[in-house]
Amino acid sequence: MPAGDAFTPDQLYDIEKAVRHAEETSGLHFSVYVGGADSETRPFALELLNELDDPDRSVLVYVDPAGRRLEIVTGAIAKRQLSDSSAGLAALTMQTSFATGDLTGGLVTGVQQLGDHAHLPKLLHANEPHKQ
Amino acid sequence: MIAELSGHTLLVFVGIPVLVVAVVALLVFSSSIASGPRYRPGLSWWAPPVWINGPTATKPDPAHLPELPGAPGTTATAAGVARTTGGASASW
Repeated sequence: MPAGDAFTPDQLYDIEKAVRHAEETSGLHFSVYVGGADSETRPFALELLNELDDPDRSVLVYVDPAGRRLEIVTGAIAKRQLSDSSAGLAALTMQTSFATGDLTGGLVTGVQQLGDHAHLPKLLHANEPHKQ
Repeated sequence: MIAELSGHTLLVFVGIPVLVVAVVALLVFSSSIASGPRYRPGLSWWAPPVWINGPTATKPDPAHLPELPGAPGTTATAAGVARTTGGASASW
């Protein structure tokens, strides 16, 4: 990887679009960090999650391209909507793309998948008790 | 012998092949130039960190917050803030 930005503007736009879509679908906050870790990847990803505005309702995707490590961290409330097994499936999807060198494709697909898994179905007839 | 080569001969036997090679090389590398740098697993990563949809406001330093008591199922971060988290990990 030569020196320079990690993503082109078009690639960044695609990732941001996937993040926005996941947020609209799930109502959670999604964040993606791509870069090296100062320490072990999991504690570093937890630190990043705690830096977010609302960590409890956030999902952080951390990718360390040099260390070839991926971490998905869900906050306390986000964990109720997005189970560890669903996060594991998304991690598997991203892992496959990353192994072929496709960072952008893996992030877009993975974040979309996380948003879909965290999707909350609308409550039907919640305000119409007489129809129940 | 070389001195007898005319400019026209040089143009035909050197200029045209060089031009052809340059055009082919441009065609081969144009797609990678247009798509930007590509990540290659196993090679070092030089790009600066990118945080998409990161924090928007400056938060208080967690080091100055009162430390919360730990509980089963919680994960203590380096900053001393305990928070129950979930998620998944993978490597490639």
